[in-house]
Amino acid sequence: MNVTRPNRRRIDDIIGWSTAAVVVLGLVFLLLPLLVTSVMAFDERSFLGPMPPPGFSLHWFVRFFSQTYFLVGLRTSLLVAIVACSISLAAGAAAALFLDRTQFWGRGVVLATFLSPLVVPPVVIGFSLLLFLAQIGVTWGLGRLVVGHVIITLPYAIRTALASLAGIDRRLEEAALNLGATEARVLWTVTLPLIRTGLISGAIFAFAVSLDDVAVSSFLTDPTTYTLPVALVSSMRATFDLTIAAASVLLIGVTVVLMFILDKAVGFDRLIGRGMFGR
Amino acid sequence: MTDTVELTDVSKHYGPLVAVNRLSFTVSPGETIALLGPSGCGKTTTLRLIAGFETPDTGTLRLAGEDVARKRPYERSIGLLFQHYALFPHMSVADNIAYGLRHRGFPRQDIPRLVAEMLALVKLSDKAAQRPGQMSGGQQQRVALARALATQPKVVLLDEPLSALDAKLRQELRVELKQVLASVRATTIVVTHDQEEAMSLAERIIVMNHGAIAQQGTPDEIYSRPNSRFVAEFMGRSNWFAGRISGQSGAGGLTFATASGITLRIPAPAQPHPAEVDVCIRPERIDLAWGTEAAEAAAVAPNINQVAGRVAGAALLGADRQFLVELVGGDRIVASLPNRLRSVPAEGEPVSVCFAAEDCIVVPSGV
Repeated sequence: MNVTRPNRRRIDDIIGWSTAAVVVLGLVFLLLPLLVTSVMAFDERSFLGPMPPPGFSLHWFVRFFSQTYFLVGLRTSLLVAIVACSISLAAGAAAALFLDRTQFWGRGVVLATFLSPLVVPPVVIGFSLLLFLAQIGVTWGLGRLVVGHVIITLPYAIRTALASLAGIDRRLEEAALNLGATEARVLWTVTLPLIRTGLISGAIFAFAVSLDDVAVSSFLTDPTTYTLPVALVSSMRATFDLTIAAASVLLIGVTVVLMFILDKAVGFDRLIGRGMFGR
Repeated sequence: MTDTVELTDVSKHYGPLVAVNRLSFTVSPGETIALLGPSGCGKTTTLRLIAGFETPDTGTLRLAGEDVARKRPYERSIGLLFQHYALFPHMSVADNIAYGLRHRGFPRQDIPRLVAEMLALVKLSDKAAQRPGQMSGGQQQRVALARALATQPKVVLLDEPLSALDAKLRQELRVELKQVLASVRATTIVVTHDQEEAMSLAERIIVMNHGAIAQQGTPDEIYSRPNSRFVAEFMGRSNWFAGRISGQSGAGGLTFATASGITLRIPAPAQPHPAEVDVCIRPERIDLAWGTEAAEAAAVAPNINQVAGRVAGAALLGADRQFLVELVGGDRIVASLPNRLRSVPAEGEPVSVCFAAEDCIVVPSGV
């Protein structure tokens, strides 16, 4: 046995080093483009030049905030995100409670349907929704956007709510029933407080998804109601300049702040590891 | 006076599994009983039926004369101490105890006083503002007990009350638990798989097996006069001889021939019995005689069984010393002597195993 040991150790070493290499490579590909964008957003030149910029200035940000086209988009984005996330949070919590508490034939199908926006291409969702809403006569832009964003954020709300429900001890609810609380009061005084962090993290995740969406939103906008990412994409077609980089830095900033809040509130491992993919 | 708890022919199935099978028993006011049995015997299901978390398939369940089989848990006046306490982690100790008082409609202005009384009862008055997560297991157990007793329920159910604690703490808290229960004079049902817990807490023990009652009686009756091999083995360490009854001995006793060729004197069983029986002797009822004592022991009273053997192993367990003795017929038995004796037989030394005929437990063979 001793003879083979050095060989086996070398294989282990190789596996160890290659995993580390994959991690580093992944980080580079994830972070480098963001880094380039962030640097270029502060470029002092008035045109799109090669890296690195000769000097730094905030003039692209000034340009962004001076264009009402972008500001209208930003306002719509925030409004849609807040409304859609509130609806997703409430609906997601209710659906998760029902799915967690009942066993019925087809439960898996119902759950898969709720989570399907995670796998169905957003273009398909956007186009189908546009077609459907046109058929039933909904032409109100803001309403269409809210409906679309509820659909794409609901899976995140349900997933995190289900994960937190799975994590609570059912005996706590039995204890509350035993102490004289009705089912509704158990929900209010025990269940909801215990899954609160899960609900908050789901809502923040949903908010980030809603804020960043382009594919679904681009089908549902109308000439006066459009979200910021949609505005960025269409302005990029017209004039490709670094205003978009400045807007991207703003979006990255919002996301970083949200993630920071999340990490402080619930811990990142719990959110990514269990909340999103685990159960 | 009506019984506080009355189960009649209660059954509960989970699919093909019969968890509780036509179970009937009563608990009188103020009495403490134990439901004792191995896991899967139906004792936990019985507790959940009484608490209202499960509904019986058949049978009636009365609390103080009222049929509650279809009532919700919050419609029954029952205090429950959960095995792992189930304290609300997001509430302070005081809020945990007040929870039942608030939801059972106690006057708002009385609640702080009642909470303070319960905290004093379990000696945790200084911990009111703490969260359960900051407390030790023993303290959590006392908070859970205070929470269960705060609403002065008609019946208190204790689910494995001490099993989550380590052995040393368990003994302390057992005494404390008994005092607290006695001071509130609650009708109590203890559900446990630990026969020591059952014997020390309960006035009456119901031993359960396969969803039904195997035997019920006082701790003494159950321990000293088990009606089956299952109960005898469950209640404590035991040495078994298989064989058949071979005849009468003096003074109303019988003689018993073991399969290994030893003849023992045994008491006559109270019930009619088959010829094939199992005979059991508890380790602590056995005396060992060795050296010159062995010769003296040979002359003792006729109701003492005496079998020659040899010490095959010995172990000191602190308060007791255990000896593994190989008898002449090849049977091996365990004898337990108090660790008080100045000299003990050495390993390999011939000994004489002595036990009184009346200490032998006789049960039908194979049951």
